[in-house]
Amino acid sequence: SQPLAGRQAAELQSKVVPSKQILHSDNMEMEPETMETKSVTDYFSKLHMGSLVYSCTSKRKSK
Amino acid sequence: RMEASCLELALEGERLCKAGDCRAGVSFFEAAVQVGTEDLKTLSAIYSQLGNAYFYLHEYAKALEYHHHDLTLARTIGDLLGEAKASGNLGNTLKVLGNFEEAIVCCQRHLDISRELNDKVGEARALYNLGNVYHSKGKNVASAGTHDPGELPDDVKSALQKAANYYEENLTIVTELGDRAAQGRAFGNLGNTHYLLGNFRSAVLAHEQRLLIAKEFGDRSAERRAYSNLGNAYIFLGEFETASEYYKRTLQLARQLKDRAVEAQACYSLGNTYTLLQDYEKAIDYHLKHLVIAQELSDKIGEGRACWSLGNAYTALGNHDQAMHFAERHLEISREVGDRSGELTARLNLSDLQMVLGLSYSTNNSMMSESHVVDNNLNGTRPRVGRRHSMENMELMKLTPEKVQNWN
Repeated sequence: SQPLAGRQAAELQSKVVPSKQILHSDNMEMEPETMETKSVTDYFSKLHMGSLVYSCTSKRKSK
Repeated sequence: RMEASCLELALEGERLCKAGDCRAGVSFFEAAVQVGTEDLKTLSAIYSQLGNAYFYLHEYAKALEYHHHDLTLARTIGDLLGEAKASGNLGNTLKVLGNFEEAIVCCQRHLDISRELNDKVGEARALYNLGNVYHSKGKNVASAGTHDPGELPDDVKSALQKAANYYEENLTIVTELGDRAAQGRAFGNLGNTHYLLGNFRSAVLAHEQRLLIAKEFGDRSAERRAYSNLGNAYIFLGEFETASEYYKRTLQLARQLKDRAVEAQACYSLGNTYTLLQDYEKAIDYHLKHLVIAQELSDKIGEGRACWSLGNAYTALGNHDQAMHFAERHLEISREVGDRSGELTARLNLSDLQMVLGLSYSTNNSMMSESHVVDNNLNGTRPRVGRRHSMENMELMKLTPEKVQNWN
């Protein structure tokens, strides 16, 4: 009866740990989001550049 | 004088955010808004940055509010590029908040304007964002569904397929533009989308590209992500040895980067992988490492999972005393965190173990047949659904049932 009991125990054991219960940790690693950026200096640098371009062309014209 | 003051405050906010201190940056931006400005373009830039700062601080309701202000303002002043950017940011925020339909509308607007302005960089970024929204949508529908593991529901499949298409479109443009960093991001998320769709070979190919680019940039966080994702894909290809190698590299990098949570995750993945390899000694070793970190981080849910995994591994080794110890601990923690299905699983495991222990002390045949009846009973009443839901991160099993079945 010992081997029989052993087999029964083994069967039970495999029911305690069926392979379906082995949880693979599905921790997917996503890439970061990309946000669009604005800056208060965007506007001012454009203004500044505009005036630079203006002053250069006006200088050239005056020459 | 007031104008200069608003600008100065905003510039300090920008400087702080760039330096990585979003919290302090927010105070300066909010002060700048309080002071106010006549210049609507400056105000739009402040709203946009406030929105982004709150986004990075995970305060999405606030992020939504400011990106919405920015969008309204951009439309009012007829700034098309500004409108595109605000729409994109609003779309990303709506995605995180789970409002996928509105997120799609916003990201589509970002895409349409970028095309109208012939802005290739903006177009590529909008395509990436759209891919992300459809990916999240697909994942969300899959995990919220009450369906049994089986076929991928059509709406999940279609959302994920759309995500893959957007990532591919994005890749075409960023490859033309020679933007390697953007390629890296697209490959990573494309890989994860293929993985959810069950295209594990394609997932591996994409993540290998991601890995290559991460190494090019010396970006160790991205490298670690790639290893982890490669490990996940190889698990479902049934190549557990390869998976364990990738998880080990993940672990190595997590330790170098001193990220305890990620280290714990890597140990947990390794524990599960060695369980699949039926090397229970190593599985226990890694699950114990995971347990220690979970306790250190006061992560009760993680601790419960560790105890459950350890209980199973010790049972497999026939060490029923240790198995009982961890099953009891699992029961305690499940009660503590109010995890009803975890509690049920723990109870079932305990009753199974008690039966095994009862049997091993018994030499009586009638006792055995009695147990057999009990066992049949258990099988009949065992709430399989309950067990399934007690597991964390179940999307994968629901999405790829055939592969899971093949493990048996």
